[in-house]
Amino acid sequence: MASLRPRTFPLSARALRSTLRSTRPSPNHFLFAPASAPSTPTPLTRAHSTSSVSADELSHFSALASSWWDPMGPSRILHLMNPLRHEFIASCLAEGTSNPTASTPSTATLNYLDVGCGGGIFAESLARTIPLDPTSPAPTPTLAASMTAIDPSTDLIRMAREHARMDPTVDTHLRTGRFKYLNTTLEDVLAGNAPISTSASTLPDSSSTSTQVTPSQYDVVTLFEVLEHIDPKTSTPLSFLTNCLRALKPGGWLIGSTISRTLPSFILNQVIAEAPWPIGVVPRGTHEWNKFVNPDEVKGWLQEGLMRAADTGVSRGGSAVAEGMRWKCVGAIYVPGIGWKMVPGSEDWGNYFWAVRKEL
Amino acid sequence: MRPISRAVLRPYVCPTCRHGISAGRRRFGSKSDSPDLYDVVCVGGGPAGLGLLAALRASPITSKLKVALIESQDLRKAKAWDLEPNQFSNRVSSLTPSTVSFLHSIGAYDHLDVTRVQEYQDMQVWDGQTGSRISFDWSMETSPFEDMRTVATMTENANLVRALLRRIADSGDENLSLFSNSTVASIENGSDLKPEGPDLSAWPVLTVKPTGPAAETGTPKRIAARLLVGADGINSPVRSFADIPTQGWDYGRHGIVATLALAEPATQPFPASKRTAYQRFLPSLGGPIALLPLPNNHATLVWSTTPENAAYLKSLPTPAFLAMVNAAFRLDMTDLNYMMGMQSSGSTHSHQDELTWRAQHTPLPTQIPPPAAAVQTGTVASFPLRFRHAAQYVSPRIALVGDAAHVIHPLAGQGLNLGLADVASLSKTIQYAVSHGMDVGDLLTLERYSSERYLPNAKIGGACDLLHKMYNVPGEGPVAWARSLGLGVVDRLPFVKSFLMKNAEGY
Repeated sequence: MASLRPRTFPLSARALRSTLRSTRPSPNHFLFAPASAPSTPTPLTRAHSTSSVSADELSHFSALASSWWDPMGPSRILHLMNPLRHEFIASCLAEGTSNPTASTPSTATLNYLDVGCGGGIFAESLARTIPLDPTSPAPTPTLAASMTAIDPSTDLIRMAREHARMDPTVDTHLRTGRFKYLNTTLEDVLAGNAPISTSASTLPDSSSTSTQVTPSQYDVVTLFEVLEHIDPKTSTPLSFLTNCLRALKPGGWLIGSTISRTLPSFILNQVIAEAPWPIGVVPRGTHEWNKFVNPDEVKGWLQEGLMRAADTGVSRGGSAVAEGMRWKCVGAIYVPGIGWKMVPGSEDWGNYFWAVRKEL
Repeated sequence: MRPISRAVLRPYVCPTCRHGISAGRRRFGSKSDSPDLYDVVCVGGGPAGLGLLAALRASPITSKLKVALIESQDLRKAKAWDLEPNQFSNRVSSLTPSTVSFLHSIGAYDHLDVTRVQEYQDMQVWDGQTGSRISFDWSMETSPFEDMRTVATMTENANLVRALLRRIADSGDENLSLFSNSTVASIENGSDLKPEGPDLSAWPVLTVKPTGPAAETGTPKRIAARLLVGADGINSPVRSFADIPTQGWDYGRHGIVATLALAEPATQPFPASKRTAYQRFLPSLGGPIALLPLPNNHATLVWSTTPENAAYLKSLPTPAFLAMVNAAFRLDMTDLNYMMGMQSSGSTHSHQDELTWRAQHTPLPTQIPPPAAAVQTGTVASFPLRFRHAAQYVSPRIALVGDAAHVIHPLAGQGLNLGLADVASLSKTIQYAVSHGMDVGDLLTLERYSSERYLPNAKIGGACDLLHKMYNVPGEGPVAWARSLGLGVVDRLPFVKSFLMKNAEGY
């Protein structure tokens, strides 16, 4: 039994860190190099964060990109967890959505934003549930009408797009713009200057078809396995979560998953999961235990974040927002040979899902 | 695993290499004729393939999937199949209660002609060498106030196939393509339809060609499968395409089947609806003989024996054949061996006379079936017995079900049940995938199916193989003693026996 995260994740953390660091508007944001000329070497990450990536990490990065979608690769545990994300979202939406006036409850009406999508494990799976005909009923309780997935890493976004092309349904959504991979930061999305098309090389016609304007607010914002990778030296989870809440429509859900920093979690993640074969299931050095966050910490930041987001005038303000906060939290445990299981009450054991609903 | 030009497992290829790959591929792929896309393409329209299709159409989660089925036989003929009430096809299967409940759950059982179906509640199995026996009788387990529990339900395969076809027809023809009278001319990996289409380089693309009278006029069709299901039997072309090896051996035995009419039983069964299946192991003749009940006092015969014996039995005139069947349930091994060598061209009654005379001097066991009185014309046939098990059931965008994945010895009548259990599991897996945003052809999806089915199939196939081998040691000796000891112990310990019976039922 262990909560696991493959070695590859600190890299996505790095990518995220660059997101967080870019909270201050920087001219570098517009230095993004379109990957139109394959002959010219493209930066592995966006220009403003290249300096934080060492040569050692770069080689690690290419290893990550090639194995991200390998079902038997180091990301296997994450792939196995993905169905639970759908189930957790469905359980949140069952309590209400930001779209209570929808004609029928089963119509696909919700716009999703996936922050830190990485190679697109979750984003692509959700995009697959978007009906090809927008008027037909949603095939799943996640009710997705569109998905915008963002990640600051050029390489990961390119790889995610390349993989999405292998599924004609997802490929169609990419072409119509109902599914978007944007190589951008959350702050740029909030500021409304997210690039519409960033990969002229992989999708030459996307600039003409993806004319749909990115909505600046979403019904569901997802944040899977991202929070625990925030570098306290350069940013704070609080400011990051506040931004996530700003991207949310009133009544919408901010949904994420992370790992708690407790004694059982230390034993499971550091001692058992990283033990030598055959006990361990992840390579040594996978986890940075001191960056893990506890449920009560997330809850506190979200309360503060809701108040701060409310102060921008989107919703009703003050502490009343935080008091009426709709908070959900459930632990998830990986049992080798059985798989991931949601176990209410196991939040302190390691991995857990959390969600908060912005007041209507 | 088959080679995929850009492997699904390693989709990232550096830009320079990718350039080279696509340049090489362009020479073979023609971009203009992009194939029709299907979510699930099933090759093979037997009970397993049709069962999968019916299950997918029955579930509200998967009923919107675009599905296709390719079958070389005429499915319209199979749907219009009809026989006289007292005529029975010689291809009959026993369905375990869990198979029956699966057929109920997908709404197919209601389409079965139940007047042609026979349940049985008792099973008598004994060793022709040692005489030790085991009786599988649920009527002892249940109280008199309950209905008797069914050991298994006998049905003609044609009846089942017709029921499944009717169930599929009931679901309408939206998103459904049945390629009847068609064969798969080729399966190959698709191509990257860059820039205007998706990357199908890991999708199997089938060329479907009509056969029969339409072969000249019909044009081949190209269809691409998100998930290609091989329900195409022991020599599965889908399995060859997926490059999945199979292990196994031929038993060197043939199964003789026939539809028999039985004489009235000497004592009426109690309760009156109770039916019994009989199986006698004949170690010195190469395998067991089984008589499984059909409606109106008919029965289907399955006799596993050596190819020489099978050829001899098939060459016999009907009265002699009947005498041999009745002898096989009654006489000693020595007597049977003698009769197996009698001149088949002698007097038509010599076998019957021999049986009558020898039976007088043989203490008959109490559990023998009523004598077979007639053979339905044209139903005596034989088929070779084999054991096969595919090394894997799944590969990217490929899944194998039924005989394509495993072929086992028929002595426990489990073949079709394992195939339909595969189908139940695969359809459940596909439902899970669809409701969780997974790609139904992805290995992460399919591994749920193979991990659920591989071990149970190996276990039952292995158990049948072990039984076959144990009951092929003729004469008295340690193996025969062990057999009778084993059966005796099992028969006397009710909890062990009921555990075995539940296992045999598929619970």
